[in-house]
Amino acid sequence: MLRGATLLAALSPSAFAYTVTIDAAAPQTIYLQVGVGSFSADYCGGTTYPPPHNTPNCGPAYGGGTPQNNTTINSVSVTLASTAVGNGTAQAMTTNSTAANSFLDGWTFCSVPGQLYIGGFFRTAGATTAAAQVTATVPAALTDATGDTIPFSKIQWTSSGIGDNGTEPFPAGTFVNGGVQTVGSMGSNSWNESCWTFTYLNNTVPPAGTFTGVVLYTMSAP
Amino acid sequence: MIAARRASTRPTFFLALALGIFSAAAAQAKPITIDDSGTAALEPSVSLRWRSATPPRSGIDNLMVGTTTIRVRINVMPWLHRSGRIYLSLPAQQPGPIGASWITQGRFLPGQIQSGNRALVYAGPITTPFMEDVLKFHFTVDGSLIRRSFPVTFHFEMDES
Repeated sequence: MLRGATLLAALSPSAFAYTVTIDAAAPQTIYLQVGVGSFSADYCGGTTYPPPHNTPNCGPAYGGGTPQNNTTINSVSVTLASTAVGNGTAQAMTTNSTAANSFLDGWTFCSVPGQLYIGGFFRTAGATTAAAQVTATVPAALTDATGDTIPFSKIQWTSSGIGDNGTEPFPAGTFVNGGVQTVGSMGSNSWNESCWTFTYLNNTVPPAGTFTGVVLYTMSAP
Repeated sequence: MIAARRASTRPTFFLALALGIFSAAAAQAKPITIDDSGTAALEPSVSLRWRSATPPRSGIDNLMVGTTTIRVRINVMPWLHRSGRIYLSLPAQQPGPIGASWITQGRFLPGQIQSGNRALVYAGPITTPFMEDVLKFHFTVDGSLIRRSFPVTFHFEMDES
């Protein structure tokens, strides 16, 4: 008993402990994909460690791949026969994007060439923040080589996704005639994706020609 | 005769009571924190990253993970030539629930733990004044709780047998 008492006095329970410092290194990540994009592997992540998935497209560890940079600019277009121009029948547009599968899980989410994939996420540590906003910077009009124009507002889109239900994060809309418009939002730490189906309203008669315009999509995270 | 019988039963009762208390104290040995002042981290800090770089489409996967390697050296001199059970204890602490798992080089047992608990890392005879091993820790923390760097404290404790 004496030895035990001496021992307790010598070794105070609070005297020894080891401390490591943990810091959140570069926890913020944003990713926006309009059309084609690049990932090192599909997400495939679960909620267990290590991830139980073992499919070829899944990331090797920690539940999935990582986003990569892709500079491709995809187009959406429609060619009208002269007899159809301005007849008021909306014309479906198609894209040269080949992005049909979601990098989330490899699921065939969009139907190409009729739909354009848009998706992304933003990762942030700490308390819940405001949603990230995705905006489109739109010229006033599509133009041809001779300066003729078609208002951008003649193009609209619907939003869906194969197997999808509920509210789309990137909902249907119509382009503004010049300016910046919000086309969707993303809550933190969740994947957001939609497939856009574009339509040319075709209710005016412009001069014959090839009309083009470039829309720039921008993601802004808090 | 009756009075004598009563007198003879009392010492027996007190002896039994005393033995009972002693037995209970032995079964629930108070853990003693072990001197781990010889322990050193091989990296200065643990950098967290998202367990999954990509979040799920629905639900929440906010877990962040980080690893670090620590050379553990604990002073078990007070228990030399005795047997004991050594635990790694991860107290409940800020910023919230912390998960830790570790692998070892064999001196200690690998394991995993949630903060607020302890896990057995050794059971058996104490044959050397110091026990050493290299533990590679894997920490898991809810990213929504992390606002800045924070310390994580753990210690080793001995249950004597």
